[in-house]
Amino acid sequence: MALVDLIRPEVIKVPLVSATKPNLIRELVEVLRDAGRISDMEQVYDALMKRESLGSTGLEQGIAVPHAKTTAVNALTVALGISPKGIDFQAIDGNPSKLFFLLLAPPDQSGPHIEALADIARITKSQVFCRTLASATTPGEVVELFSED
Amino acid sequence: MNGPIKKILVYVDGTEGSITAAQYGVVLSRTLRAELSALYVVNTRALDDLLKARIFIKAEEQEYKQDLEADANRYLNHVRSLARKKGLAIEAVSVSGSVHQEIKSYVQDHDIDLLIIGELSHVRSRRDEFYNEAERAMRSVSCSVLIVKDEDRVWELYDALH
Repeated sequence: MALVDLIRPEVIKVPLVSATKPNLIRELVEVLRDAGRISDMEQVYDALMKRESLGSTGLEQGIAVPHAKTTAVNALTVALGISPKGIDFQAIDGNPSKLFFLLLAPPDQSGPHIEALADIARITKSQVFCRTLASATTPGEVVELFSED
Repeated sequence: MNGPIKKILVYVDGTEGSITAAQYGVVLSRTLRAELSALYVVNTRALDDLLKARIFIKAEEQEYKQDLEADANRYLNHVRSLARKKGLAIEAVSVSGSVHQEIKSYVQDHDIDLLIIGELSHVRSRRDEFYNEAERAMRSVSCSVLIVKDEDRVWELYDALH
């Protein structure tokens, strides 16, 4: 399943309200819990924070891609959040992060996980797209930006 | 093997769609008496890209590469089993690199007549970045391409083979 298939209104939160990395990750995990996408919220949160402890997934241009393998999902799972003001996510360029792509995959489905992460790596090269996405104010707008219909 | 299709390749990436494609490949291969191959590509290009983009750290890249190699063995063994159950020989191959380029090369190097892939994304996108690897392969290979749909129907066809 392609990344674009997974970006549905129920897994998008605009705006994110958290001001710290742990709270923001928890806020996105709650989105997935509320959408019925995960079986164990604490397991997912711990896996994501463990990955962040190895090095921040905050990239350049205000984008962050927290990700982890976990048995709390049975298929590739995505949440997308936008923090209009941005937060300190310890990004590599030191700037606040505004766009958050959170990815979870079961341990035995690394192929789709890597492909989805690579999709994100490609789109984040487009400054125009990232700026437009960061200015979206509703989940519907976000979905519209990714799809043609 | 005098029909229009002599060599069939199924692209296997571990998704349910690709396993359904493999089942359909077995059905077609038996029916057309065509040679059947299955290809899994360990996507080292994506791993390199993720490392360069700093989404992955080095240790993570190595871990995921091992995961992908294990996936390749597991899924190709499953496809071998699907073929064996129907008395069919299959060449199941794992390679490393860029997925669509490796598929394109395999098709060219082995004179494949038909590439079979699983169902594609349901969502159309304005952006080229959202064409997945199977879709990129479909666009770039020189042979005809069959996109397999209707999992239940394919299962019936596969199950009915003796």
